[in-house]
Amino acid sequence: MLKLLREVLKVGEATHPYPFAPLPVAPGFRGRPQHAPEACIACAACAAACPSNALALTNDLVRGTRTWSLLYARCIFCGRCEEVCPTGAITLTQEFELAVMNKADLVAQADYRLAACRVCGRYFAPAKEIGYTLALLQQNGLPGDQLEARRALLETCPECRRGRNAAHIAGLVEARQPEVA
Amino acid sequence: MSSLVRGNGAGTAVGDAAANGHLAALKGALLKDIRRSVYVYRVDCGGCNGCEIEIFAALTPLFDAERFGIKVVASPRHADVLLYTGAVTRAMRLPALRAYRAAPDPKICVSYGACGCSGGIFHDLYGVWGGTDMILPIDVYIPGCPPTPAATLYGFAMALGLLTQKLKATHYVQGEAERVEPRWPRVPSPLRVTLEREARRMAGYWRGRQIADQFLSFLSADDPRPLAEQLKAYLDQQADPRLTEIMNRLLAIYLAFPAVTGSSAS
Repeated sequence: MLKLLREVLKVGEATHPYPFAPLPVAPGFRGRPQHAPEACIACAACAAACPSNALALTNDLVRGTRTWSLLYARCIFCGRCEEVCPTGAITLTQEFELAVMNKADLVAQADYRLAACRVCGRYFAPAKEIGYTLALLQQNGLPGDQLEARRALLETCPECRRGRNAAHIAGLVEARQPEVA
Repeated sequence: MSSLVRGNGAGTAVGDAAANGHLAALKGALLKDIRRSVYVYRVDCGGCNGCEIEIFAALTPLFDAERFGIKVVASPRHADVLLYTGAVTRAMRLPALRAYRAAPDPKICVSYGACGCSGGIFHDLYGVWGGTDMILPIDVYIPGCPPTPAATLYGFAMALGLLTQKLKATHYVQGEAERVEPRWPRVPSPLRVTLEREARRMAGYWRGRQIADQFLSFLSADDPRPLAEQLKAYLDQQADPRLTEIMNRLLAIYLAFPAVTGSSAS
């Protein structure tokens, strides 16, 4: 009996005082994903990587916005979004206290503007993503005049670009016709 | 938002019955006047058992949910709290409803884990109802895959009114003239991509990204010491042989990169 008591005193209390004291979590613990909306370019790399479709992007082509949304209820905390984000806008924090009474509180959203096509005026891609692509080209040493040409290309929607290319190729073929004949 | 968050048992016979004011008042009284232990009945509606393992981990002496009088019982007829795990499969939806009907009113329903809260990774499978709140009214949602024992305690403490909710919905709208610059402006993109690929190949996807970012931050730092020396100081401090091997491999790639040789990189 005394021996047991001594053993108990030696071991002490095993129970952690959480929730009355903060719980230290292990390094590398994958908790709530934190989105830094000002660093996000709305490129949808995270939504493509998300295995459980917790991350989704929806376009509103009438208002010209793209809405990024994260449903914490569906998130499995795998960290794929953090891995693929080109700008480091999403990181997994050490927070684990996510329980809610109201399910609507499990949603994080961010609205981004879409750029309108230079030719047809339809919304097609996030303005921030185009800006980021140009910044990358500039960083890799593309000269200023070529950069402006690229800007014109990037600010044109894929359909218009395709149409313009087709017209260009048709012109080239026509120009070569006499040589062939 | 309504398209992202679907109804809380609305449209089901059980949900509509529970939505009336009488039961809501009873539930409030249960929380306010409870003077004894809270009995929890656990219903597995087609989960992978990860959630069950974490629930039992929350009952171990380390976390000790019984400090708060939380006790797991074997029958829904004894229960005050129903704890639903799993994505609600077709086969388990009727047993889940039977457990709900068997539990005496007033009762608190807790949706546990990513699957219980919204269907989780199984949300769009055939034969899966996609979350407990598709068939039942839920009072507390505990997300996580699975929730850690500490998150479980937090959720229960919130269900019993001991703690308050921390998470709030956020909605950001892009500001004017917002721009994003490349993260590593001093590192050429081909070099950055090569380093990131190698780090991920050696360390796995998530850790590889972190190691590559650490290496790139050394490349971008304004440190007068040579890169190899900075790296050695960091690796000695970390004392991790795997990290040392990966970082040295990245250093070798960096030094062999065409644009680097000949410059003051060493």
